[in-house]
Amino acid sequence: MIKFQNVTKTYKGSTVALNDCSVEIDKGEFVFLVGPSGSGKTTFIRLLLREELPDSGRIWEAGKEIGHIAKWRIPYLRRNIGCVFQDFSLLPNKTVFENVAFALEVIGRPKHVIAAQVPQVLDLVGLTKKRDNLPHELSGGEQQRVAVARAFVNRPLILLADEPTGNLDPTTSLGIMRLLDRINRTGTTVIIATHDAGMVDQMRRRVIELDRGLLVRDQAHGVYGIDSATAAAGAGSPTGSMAGHAPTGASAGGFPDSLATRT
Amino acid sequence: MPVSPGYVSREAVTNLWRNRLMTVAAILTVAVSLALVGSSLLLKQGASKATVQWQNGVQAIVWVNPGASPTQVSSIGTELDQYPYIKHCIARSQAYDYNEAKAILPADESGVTTLADYPSSFRCALNDPSQATAVYQQFVGKPGIKTVSYPGQQIKTMQSVIRILQWVFLSVAVVLLLSASVLILNTIRMAIFARRREVSVMKLVGATNWFIRLPFMAEGLIQGLLGAAVAVLVVLSLYWGIGLDTARTAANQGNIIAQMSLGGWEVAGTCILVALVGVVVGVVGSAFAVRRFLDV
Repeated sequence: MIKFQNVTKTYKGSTVALNDCSVEIDKGEFVFLVGPSGSGKTTFIRLLLREELPDSGRIWEAGKEIGHIAKWRIPYLRRNIGCVFQDFSLLPNKTVFENVAFALEVIGRPKHVIAAQVPQVLDLVGLTKKRDNLPHELSGGEQQRVAVARAFVNRPLILLADEPTGNLDPTTSLGIMRLLDRINRTGTTVIIATHDAGMVDQMRRRVIELDRGLLVRDQAHGVYGIDSATAAAGAGSPTGSMAGHAPTGASAGGFPDSLATRT
Repeated sequence: MPVSPGYVSREAVTNLWRNRLMTVAAILTVAVSLALVGSSLLLKQGASKATVQWQNGVQAIVWVNPGASPTQVSSIGTELDQYPYIKHCIARSQAYDYNEAKAILPADESGVTTLADYPSSFRCALNDPSQATAVYQQFVGKPGIKTVSYPGQQIKTMQSVIRILQWVFLSVAVVLLLSASVLILNTIRMAIFARRREVSVMKLVGATNWFIRLPFMAEGLIQGLLGAAVAVLVVLSLYWGIGLDTARTAANQGNIIAQMSLGGWEVAGTCILVALVGVVVGVVGSAFAVRRFLDV
């Protein structure tokens, strides 16, 4: 699904954002991208969105090498990628329904498709009752759910989230994570860049850690920090064999029980 | 992916309305500059019409000395007939010229000359009015000839006045057209700025570049077209207002406006040209803004 091969990216006059990074992510995986600020997480996401090109190395995404995609085809690449940000990026003058529908409108989906798909995805994120509210009438968590709905309404192959819970309290964050997990179970590859140690520790999914552009850890059922917990997890299979990462079914992810009962 | 025209026009109109003060400014600038372009074109066409009229009426008059012998007079007549650019000449007697002068000139001027002093003349119509000078050079100073006169100088003065006017009009119009483009560019830039969130979301969810660009370009096009429409109204009211639609008749020979009279097709052509320039200004201004500020 996604493959980085010796990818290096340096911004003008600054340190290396990504340094000789090689990683493979299979279809249907759920991956946390962790590391301190400036470690290259956002660059990783931007490269996947083809907002940046690597200085060297190659990136494959959905079977295509993205360095070789013509500029005018980039929009078509992005239609396979859903995207969620820390600041929600909702349009303030559009209702919840319109915000989600917008993602379909601008790629030219016909009205009847919009009328069918938007309520479905609003149901999935639990916002059916708020469909006619404006973003400022919603809580932060609800706004982020709208953003997730917008990212997912087109049924993308990949869902990227850059600090999706950065502005949210822990309880609300759990709700968003649960939602992303549910989306992952539909077969969508989910990649989350995050600082949220608690969340990563609870979810026990694959963790890729970056530090100053270097890939320092790739762990199947990892936690946020490298500490005794790693050993406790007992799943410290380091970088390499992706065979262990079966597409996540309900059983694959160690989803905390507390989440399963939460609405 | 085809972009629906309904979507493009809806978005463009919404943007224009949101930014209406700048929109009005841009439209007015386009209108003023295009009105100048249109009027100067009208003036140019009228002037060349009138010039043709005047030149067709150009005569060279060879004045014969009152004292010239009959042989001299007849040899002048024969020589005039030899030149190919002279269509035909009519000989006028002293008496005819004297009476004509009395009719045209004020009494105190015509009173000082007598019939005997007055020259007889050959009135020569020319095939090509520009050859009037040649006739002058050929005949002036020949025995028996007093002088040769032709109205070339007046026509030249008239033409150069019109030419200068035209240049002034056109250069003012070009400057105004440039500022109109810049104003359109600025309105589009403000529209893009007002919608930058929307644009960034559009890019993220995979809207094609043309899908993002077209509404903004349509906006510029509408501004150019509306400005052109106002300018066309100005040109038409100039046409009817000063009576450029008056047909040329024998009766209004002396009326300069009537001499400049233009046909409906010529005015329609001018209007179409004005509209086209409006479209080009709108599209170029907005295309530039989109390239520069939209980064798609």
